[in-house]
Amino acid sequence: MAYITINGQKVRARKEETVLQVARRLGIDIPALCYHPALEPYAACRLCLVEATLNGRTRVVASCAYPIRDGLVVETDTEQIHQLRRNLLKLYLAQAPNAEVIQQLAAEYGVTATPYPIRDPEENCILCGLCERVCQKVRGEAAISFAYRGINRQVTPPFEEDLDDCLGCGACAFVCPTGAITERYKAEAVTLDKWGAEIPMARCQVCGKPFAPASGIEHAAAELGIDSDELCICPHCRQLAHSQALSKLEAGRSTAR
Amino acid sequence: MAIKQQSTLDTLREQGRQRLYPDVPRITVGMATCGQAAGAAEVYQALQEATQGTSIAVVPVGCRGYCQREPLVDVRIPGWPRLIYAQVTPDQARELAEAASNRQLVLDGALGREDNDKPLWGEEQILATDSVPEQIDTIPLLRDIDFYKHQVRIATRNCGIIDPASLPEYVARGGYQALAKVLEQMTPEEVIEEITASGLRGRGGGGFPTGRKWRSCREAKGEPHYVICNADEGDPGAYMDRSILEGDPHAVLEGMIIGAYAIGSPQGYIYVRAEYPLAVSTLREAINQARTAGLLGNDILGSGFAFDIDIVRGGGAFVCGESTALMASVEGRAGEPRSKYVHTVESGLWDKPTNLNNVETWANVPAIIAQGPDWFSSIGTEKSKGTKVFSAVGNVQNTGLVEVPMGMTLHELVYDVCGGVLDGRELKAIQTGGPSGGCIPAELLDLPIDYEHLTEAGSMMGSGGMIVMDDRTCMVELARYFTEFLVEESCGKCGPCREGLYQMLHILTDITQGRGKPEYIEQLEELGELLSWASLCALGGTAANPVLSTLRYFREEYEAHIYDKKCPAGVCQELISYRIDPEACTGCHLCARNCPQQAIVGDPKEPHQILTEKCIKCGICREVCKFDAVVVE
Repeated sequence: MAYITINGQKVRARKEETVLQVARRLGIDIPALCYHPALEPYAACRLCLVEATLNGRTRVVASCAYPIRDGLVVETDTEQIHQLRRNLLKLYLAQAPNAEVIQQLAAEYGVTATPYPIRDPEENCILCGLCERVCQKVRGEAAISFAYRGINRQVTPPFEEDLDDCLGCGACAFVCPTGAITERYKAEAVTLDKWGAEIPMARCQVCGKPFAPASGIEHAAAELGIDSDELCICPHCRQLAHSQALSKLEAGRSTAR
Repeated sequence: MAIKQQSTLDTLREQGRQRLYPDVPRITVGMATCGQAAGAAEVYQALQEATQGTSIAVVPVGCRGYCQREPLVDVRIPGWPRLIYAQVTPDQARELAEAASNRQLVLDGALGREDNDKPLWGEEQILATDSVPEQIDTIPLLRDIDFYKHQVRIATRNCGIIDPASLPEYVARGGYQALAKVLEQMTPEEVIEEITASGLRGRGGGGFPTGRKWRSCREAKGEPHYVICNADEGDPGAYMDRSILEGDPHAVLEGMIIGAYAIGSPQGYIYVRAEYPLAVSTLREAINQARTAGLLGNDILGSGFAFDIDIVRGGGAFVCGESTALMASVEGRAGEPRSKYVHTVESGLWDKPTNLNNVETWANVPAIIAQGPDWFSSIGTEKSKGTKVFSAVGNVQNTGLVEVPMGMTLHELVYDVCGGVLDGRELKAIQTGGPSGGCIPAELLDLPIDYEHLTEAGSMMGSGGMIVMDDRTCMVELARYFTEFLVEESCGKCGPCREGLYQMLHILTDITQGRGKPEYIEQLEELGELLSWASLCALGGTAANPVLSTLRYFREEYEAHIYDKKCPAGVCQELISYRIDPEACTGCHLCARNCPQQAIVGDPKEPHQILTEKCIKCGICREVCKFDAVVVE
């Protein structure tokens, strides 16, 4: 346990926590676009910068990654911090002008326009890396990851080939903070427009209807060490089978009585 | 701990002395990358052919630092001083070999002589024992010539003198004596105390006290501990580490073994750029020799201490010089930095305590142990102890590697050691610290070279790159050049560095191409501040230095580009025009003959003229004019 002070408020915190976690627990709003509670801190979007003072030394740090230390004093909304966030948002407005969350944050911080040239007016990915990190976590090895560096950085399947290793789980679309990744479930396939991928659906062995991404079922079966056929029953049919079994059991019991 | 194999070192030392001071003539050739670029391989081959069938030893060595004058060849005939020759051609080499086989001294063209060999520690060898011709006095002692006079060579103590592929030669100059002392007489704590007391600070740029780093790592929880040598030298124009690795690899290995003993580490890694093939092969050879001799492995010198070193080759990303990115790369992941709020000495390679130092830092370690911390701390300034190796490049007379005591002024370095600015031009600025460093204007030339002063001036020590620039350098263009380098090398992980540098480059390109707008200066300052405060790693955190330091010292040059659409240094093509001054022009026609566009007209012995519509502003006329008659406006 440690005691820290955030915006003048003294609080108890666990040493495993980060400044951002403690702040959010207290209802203090710190923007953070590359952070997700299920994933390791990444400290890349830099919007969560705060002023942290320890042993008399003040630094500007990324709160999502900064660990709790006893006696830490944190200020989340100083003029300097807001200035840095404003300047950063001007850059993100130029990079990903089509990202709604960036437009909202910019408005919130009083940034009405970017002075910098816009590369692609349609762009909405800010390269926060949540998609590739969640993919790695779910998939074990990633179906997508970063390629190239600097301004050419992008999230892509290996060697920019087809999205072959995707399980169609949708986690990437779920964590994407800007809506750059969208996942659509259609009858025969899940589509991930960002990579132009269609992940075919498996059909239920009972009713024959497509119900889940085939690659996801195979991956789960392999993880569980069972035959994928055992998982190829849609939730509806599985429920039906269970209730039928239960009612048979029930009928047997009444007969016995 | 006791060393059971002291005799190993004694044997090696004796072998080394026989190689360094044989009874037959010994000719060495500077075969480091700089020497080879100047044609040393041909010289070496010529010497080998010319000495075939004789007893003369022809030996490749590393770089003595005087890269400007490579290929350097040393000739030592037993009993006589060693003579050092500069810019040797294969023909000259054959003559030298011929003379050596007849035991004749060649005084013509000798750069300097050495009457004795005095290593930093260990046994001195008198070379001039026989009576020598009187004319030898016309050749200065090498250590008295301007380039060497002010240098103190500690990290580069053996470079250019020993055969880097010969462990015995290293041992003969006191090598592995420090390691033997450490293993036999010192506890790990005592080693750390000595390094701390010496005041040694990281030579990779950060300047963190080495002893304190070692202590934190030793005390950190988790096993095993790792040591790393950062040899990912990526600054354009900087090659200090390459020269040490190519010229004296065992100095680095010995430093690492001592460090590993102090920290308690069984495994070390040297992360070296794949673009340094000679350094990689030299290191590999040195590691194999050290293993064979029992200086690396399970039972070092019979002391029971176990440590080994592996080489990891970097793929050429500048950012991999950053410690966390480097460690990610060693682990086999993409070389991207992470936040360092938990230091790498506590959680580094594979999340284990890891101590990383750069090549030059490691090479200093054996010298400190052998000579004592007081000796080391007597060199340098109050807060910056010892020496620093710089690679002096740019518009300077003597380019090369120089190792000077901390606290020497920039003026002394440029004028006394490096012989001043090329062609007698005026010095404009010095860029230190590589792309992340800054420009120091000529007015601050009396600045002492140490960590604090360079940082205060808006630059940094960095790893030792030093670019000297004359009055024909455009500072805006220079800032643009470095920013372009950094845009290409930014890993792109964090927003400020990826996007901020890109926008900075856009602005700087506009300014140098005549599209500058008044608001640009403020935008550059705003972006610079954002990069410095908000970036994830040190690359981004220092990336604005070239722009911010030139804005600080050469703001009027930015303003001239933006408001007057002029480039005062006459560099930015869109902003300049060439004109011939009729007063100065003698009508020699040299410019017209060299103009690739036939854009210069004029009668012989009459002032010439440049036809602006045909001129492509290549600047050749200005270069060739002997009367400074070509004016850039």
